[in-house]
Amino acid sequence: MVELLEETTGKDGRRVLKVAKENLVQLMKELKEQGFVHLSLITGVDRKDKLEVVYHLHNLEKNEYIAVKTETLDERVPSVTSVFTSANWDEREQFDMMGIVFEGHPNLKRLFLPENWVGHPLRKNYDLSKVQYINMDENGEDYATFDPGDGW
Amino acid sequence: MVNTQISKPDDNGWVELNMGPQHPSTHGVLRLKVKLDGEIVKEIEPVIGYLHRNAEKICELDYYCDSLIYFDRMDYVGAMNMEVGYLEAAEKLLGIPPPERAQWIRVVMAELNRIAAHLVWAGAYGLDLGMLTPFFYCFVEREKVLRIFTEVCGSRQETNYMSIGGVYQDFNDKIIHDILEFTEQFPKKLEDIFSSFVKNDIFIARTKGIGILEPEVALDYGVTGPMLRASGVEYDVRKAEPYLVYDKINFDIPVSYRKDNLARFLVRFEEMRQSIKIINQAVKKIPDGPYFNPKAKKSLMIRLRGEGEVYARTESSKGEFSVYLVGDGGVKPYRLRVRSPSLKNLSILPYLAKDTMIADLVAISGTLDLVFGEVDR
Repeated sequence: MVELLEETTGKDGRRVLKVAKENLVQLMKELKEQGFVHLSLITGVDRKDKLEVVYHLHNLEKNEYIAVKTETLDERVPSVTSVFTSANWDEREQFDMMGIVFEGHPNLKRLFLPENWVGHPLRKNYDLSKVQYINMDENGEDYATFDPGDGW
Repeated sequence: MVNTQISKPDDNGWVELNMGPQHPSTHGVLRLKVKLDGEIVKEIEPVIGYLHRNAEKICELDYYCDSLIYFDRMDYVGAMNMEVGYLEAAEKLLGIPPPERAQWIRVVMAELNRIAAHLVWAGAYGLDLGMLTPFFYCFVEREKVLRIFTEVCGSRQETNYMSIGGVYQDFNDKIIHDILEFTEQFPKKLEDIFSSFVKNDIFIARTKGIGILEPEVALDYGVTGPMLRASGVEYDVRKAEPYLVYDKINFDIPVSYRKDNLARFLVRFEEMRQSIKIINQAVKKIPDGPYFNPKAKKSLMIRLRGEGEVYARTESSKGEFSVYLVGDGGVKPYRLRVRSPSLKNLSILPYLAKDTMIADLVAISGTLDLVFGEVDR
């Protein structure tokens, strides 16, 4: 069993396991073997001095719910796509919105925004006053630009 | 211009075809980059984000009570289910439970909306497969549901009916009479619609045995809702983790072991029959009493403060819709995250449609029941 940093109970009555990010993938593997086959959601939370990633898992047979938490100071977290395929798009979305780099992800691209978008909107220090416009190039691909151009 | 271009064949002899974002069978703004070998689909890359508004960020900038209208606009054909989903999380975080009467009213409204959402899906799926007639029958019935919504809260689709601590308008006798009138005549109409699909040979030919989804794969990809139940996994949040008063209501979870397109169709129709069963029970059980928690009066609403973390799941018409809410003790949410079932269901399309004919790609993507307000948020 992987060493846990902390085990608490949340406000909604769910068990919350806190783990160091080095042990994350190993813990996920063990939980999947215990029957937590449904990875419901991956959430990144910007705590200003650090980034927190929360995984919500569900055991269908025992009807048990659990949350796994990990923290990172350098925006890097190991990817769990090798354990759960459903993590693929969730991690891409969190990379897009929070700027969390999931190491070992097979295709870490932005999910919603164009590739060259500047900044990650859900970070607390994201500058909302800078407007970016989306335009289409000759190949039909979207790109972001600060220049409003004629279309706007 | 760009939408109809087909590239030159690459080394494998595959051509790249661009479907969408304005393709009529993509139900909104889904763009698919498809690699074709003749008529066989080899690779699909969904491109999404055309309807992206970043509702999560907008909700972070607003008071707890203001966020509700953005949820209406996520799954715009099932707005009541979205409201139930958000309020499950928000009420737990703020510590303002709705009174008993409001919970029963919410169940009735959510199930009515589930019927409306499935009817939209069924009508649009008929259109995908070239059947025009069922569309009209579906929308006539849906309109009756929306009339009830208009009667209750004044708007058809983006209802904004529920609020923190209860609902905005109480039910009266006329509304209950209208609902019972609807549930009485609807089952017969539903069977008419049902037979107009399944007695059609072309419909059966295009759905039976196509788009097989094994249960292990479905779970691995995080697919939920009717999609998962059509693969033979009996998982419904209404039973697994009952919210509102679903534990006091007698209903079944429809499951099919066929795993194909037809299974998803059958499961959704059976769900509508179960919804009628739920509504008939719930309408009779609505207790007397307040429909609004006095702790959440309109004038006090923007002063509500929440602290802690709450993860609440609900079953929308598309699947498991859940909201993760983090409060820091302020009047606005610190972080709000939405699990949209349509997004997870879409992520399986590249797997499902691989090595099928391009005409089946439309038949398969139709069964995913995509609503783009919810996929892109």
